Amino acid sequence: MLILARKPGEAIAIGDGIKIRVLEIKGGQVKIGVEAPAEVMVHREEIYLRIVEENTRAAAEAPADLSSLASVFGGDKARSKPSPKSGK
Amino acid sequence: MLAMTTTTCTETHGEITVSTSRFGQLSVNPEKIITMTSPFLGFPDSKRFIVKPHGEESPFLWLQSLDDPKLAFVAIQAALLIPQYQPEIPGLTRQELQGSPEQPLEILLILTIPKENPEGMTANLLGPVAINSQKRLAKQVLQDPTRYDACWPVFTMDQTE
Repeated sequence: MLILARKPGEAIAIGDGIKIRVLEIKGGQVKIGVEAPAEVMVHREEIYLRIVEENTRAAAEAPADLSSLASVFGGDKARSKPSPKSGK
Repeated sequence: MLAMTTTTCTETHGEITVSTSRFGQLSVNPEKIITMTSPFLGFPDSKRFIVKPHGEESPFLWLQSLDDPKLAFVAIQAALLIPQYQPEIPGLTRQELQGSPEQPLEILLILTIPKENPEGMTANLLGPVAINSQKRLAKQVLQDPTRYDACWPVFTMDQTE
């Protein structure tokens, strides 16, 4: 890991077109500004890891075919009762 | 861009043939190929996909990678599963997908289907896939984790919450 010390207002340039700037340090928290092209995904690490984990699981569990799902939906759509759940 | 696939042009349709682990050799109309503007997180080398419906009676769709024969996601239209789901699509993302602000985007949800327990399948509401069908561009658009769950159970037998 490359370690650089920055003061508020100072920035780090990554490649061509990505900049990380320290905006403010307050109350044990660092506010960071990120400039990057739209196609470069910028996320809090924990969200990034969560999505990688779930994408990987979904891809790994994806069956060879969906015949096992025929019984699950079975033409009786009343069995799937999506409820408006939110949060974790 | 076609260098990575085995291409066989038929006389009439200009279709290309790609290898897939689940469907064998697939004949694909190049005009149906969807390109990720940013790849799925965790799968940086897969940029191109096709949407392959499971069957007429089935709500399921396959998102088959053209760049990795073994990679396919099971997905479903969000509107079918959760009509009230309104993921946030930032303006910059709409631009990235080359869509106008009013243009509706197709939203697909990736399903995780546990091998031993298909009824325990979950939908990823934290990372829906937004597709501009006209331009055939797509992106997985991450949501607020305090609002949406990456493992939302598709089947709720009892309303316990």
